[in-house]
Amino acid sequence: MEVGQMQRQWLDYTKSLFLEGFLDGQFLQLQQLQDESNPDFVVEVVSLFFEDSEKLLNDLTSALGQQSVDFKRVDAHVHQLKGSSSSIGAQRVKNACIALRNYCEEQNIEGCIGCLQQVKHEYNMVKNKLENLFRLEQQIVAAGGSIPMTELGF
Amino acid sequence: MEVMESDHVHHAIEEQQEQQHFHVLAVDDSLIDRKLLERLLKVSSYKVTCVDSGDEALKYLGLVDDDVDKNSPASSSSSSSPQSPAQDGLKVNLIMTDYCMPGMSGYDLLKRVKGSSWKDVPVVIMSSENVPARISKCLEGGAEEFLLKPLQLSDLKNLEHYLLKPLHHSCQSNIISDIAAEDDGVDSSDDNINNDIIDSKSSSSSSNNNNSIINKRKAVSPEPSERRPRAKGLAVV
Repeated sequence: MEVGQMQRQWLDYTKSLFLEGFLDGQFLQLQQLQDESNPDFVVEVVSLFFEDSEKLLNDLTSALGQQSVDFKRVDAHVHQLKGSSSSIGAQRVKNACIALRNYCEEQNIEGCIGCLQQVKHEYNMVKNKLENLFRLEQQIVAAGGSIPMTELGF
Repeated sequence: MEVMESDHVHHAIEEQQEQQHFHVLAVDDSLIDRKLLERLLKVSSYKVTCVDSGDEALKYLGLVDDDVDKNSPASSSSSSSPQSPAQDGLKVNLIMTDYCMPGMSGYDLLKRVKGSSWKDVPVVIMSSENVPARISKCLEGGAEEFLLKPLQLSDLKNLEHYLLKPLHHSCQSNIISDIAAEDDGVDSSDDNINNDIIDSKSSSSSSNNNNSIINKRKAVSPEPSERRPRAKGLAVV
């Protein structure tokens, strides 16, 4: 595939992620902060998000599996996950966290467990999508092209 | 443009006017948010130092003493900071802190700073949660501004106002405190808009709803556009 085609593919894929609600405006802000002096900024921040989230999701699973659930602890973890997903623009993960927080406030264990599944689902989806996106970017750069961020036109 | 290295007066004036020399102390327990804020600030030509807690911030500012009594900032300010920051050569033009942190909250840090030799340094508080009572508390506690996360470049453009007009800023704080005291009638109507903690923030026009509490505050002030910069979500991008 030649560079122009890859760039168009990148544009279409990125736009679809926004249209389908996986990403919101905050992700655009991250992209705006990337430049020649910091060419890997988005990948770096998103990688931090992946690491952080996986740990939080494990902690949440474990906390909700306790005999006596410590809802304060659960809430603290969800708050953190909600914050980081919001910071990178992972809209659906953020929204799932908001729902989970509501169940937490109600101290509804079943609700929390079900909602946590939803959070994990959304997380895995956006992780997959972003990894695809980054792979496309690597291919474009390897072929000597540049990422057409300014053409997103939002 | 030529700058004479030996011309101290010229250099001092330049420091006042050029953002490159403004040093921001950023406090946030989230690594992701620290990274983001650091980048936002650097892109806006500020120097940045990031710390991950209020305690670390106090250490950095030289405000830590052994017998810390959190309930009486007066006593800690008299017994702490062995020398003034200016003597140390440490210059901090702005402190930006997250509100929700384990241990010392951003509000606690605000009070400690305001009760210390660093009291004239503007403090901006950030939070992912739009809670009117929290915002009022911080502003009345001496915070310059309350910003909703996630932060954007447009938020940082507003910071120039605090950094370039230090004297004017202290007048602003007093006026805003007075307005806050009279604000009760206006604030109650915010409940209709901000009944639940508004967490969502998008680049669409609906983001204006999240900032209505801050808009309301500015609306009470006679000259909102002059007195206070717009908080968030209102800058035309």
